[in-house]
Amino acid sequence: MAAPGAAGLGRRLRAWLPRIMPVRWSRYNPNYLEPEVKKESYQKPLEELTEEEREQMELKAVRPIKAAPPSLSSSVFSDPMISKFTNMMMKSGNKVLARSLMSQTLEAIKRKQLEKYHKASENEKETIECNPYVIFHQALKNCQPIIGLSNITKGGKTYQVPVPLTDNRKRFLAMKWLITECRENKHRRTLMPEKLCQELLLAFNNEGPVIKKKHVLHKMAEANRAYAHFRWW
Amino acid sequence: MAAPAYPAWVTRWVSGQWRNKKRPPTLRPPRTLALADKVANRREQSTEATCITEMSVMMACWKQNDFNDTPCAKEIRMFYDCVAKAEKERKNQNEDTLSSKGNLPSSKVNKLLKRFPQITRYV
Repeated sequence: MAAPGAAGLGRRLRAWLPRIMPVRWSRYNPNYLEPEVKKESYQKPLEELTEEEREQMELKAVRPIKAAPPSLSSSVFSDPMISKFTNMMMKSGNKVLARSLMSQTLEAIKRKQLEKYHKASENEKETIECNPYVIFHQALKNCQPIIGLSNITKGGKTYQVPVPLTDNRKRFLAMKWLITECRENKHRRTLMPEKLCQELLLAFNNEGPVIKKKHVLHKMAEANRAYAHFRWW
Repeated sequence: MAAPAYPAWVTRWVSGQWRNKKRPPTLRPPRTLALADKVANRREQSTEATCITEMSVMMACWKQNDFNDTPCAKEIRMFYDCVAKAEKERKNQNEDTLSSKGNLPSSKVNKLLKRFPQITRYV
């Protein structure tokens, strides 16, 4: 009689105690505030803050704050777009490999651009962009489609209707196209950083297969523009 | 002369009740003659697609410039502005106000009617 009693007591005690291990789908109380990671916001003197920022600071004194996720960093070198791209490149949770590939890509871009810079004549030197982050951002921006196609069924037939895309969707499509292009259409012996570097430089100059894919999508949207009225939003 | 007091059957005979007027009631309502608390479900007309003019202007520009984005930057910006505006309006649209065409869909009407039902009996 003591054993089932003890087991039941243990179960009930465990249910009453809060969880110690974090759970994947844990949801915070709506009272919890987002953590502020940027150092610059804490270095501002009190007078420079606007009304809403003062209110925010007062709230922070009384409300609890969510735990900062491990991908959020206050370093000057962290870039949310690059983190997103690294996560999309990652396979089976191997973040170490994905991050090293990303840094090798950026290094390769810098090397290539520096080579071009040193070989160029004086007046061309200003036009050559050497910052790999700038190249990455500009290349992604050039790859983003402006309008997308969505399947809408009307009267039994499915049509491809041109539809405006959200910013998140555009970014996702650009990154996805880049990564699939680099994974599939490369020689067996070229490594990913090299191929990615080539594709990014081509996209930066509005050339290359990813830009072509974007143009193909635009052409299809333009061909189907008669169906644009099938949208209801 | 005073009004002659006829027996009841005389007046009834004269009024024709026995001839053709004494019939069972023609209207036999299966339900109570009162308004119901709901409206029939009507398939509401879908709203129009937004930003079609901007999109067609942008596509015309694309056709002229071989789908390059740099010469069409102005049209693209206008398209983005229109899309952002439409999205904001869709978010701000209050559920209880009328839709853009000016009529309430049947689900909302039913919700309102449920809050203020027809009083069928007094307690």
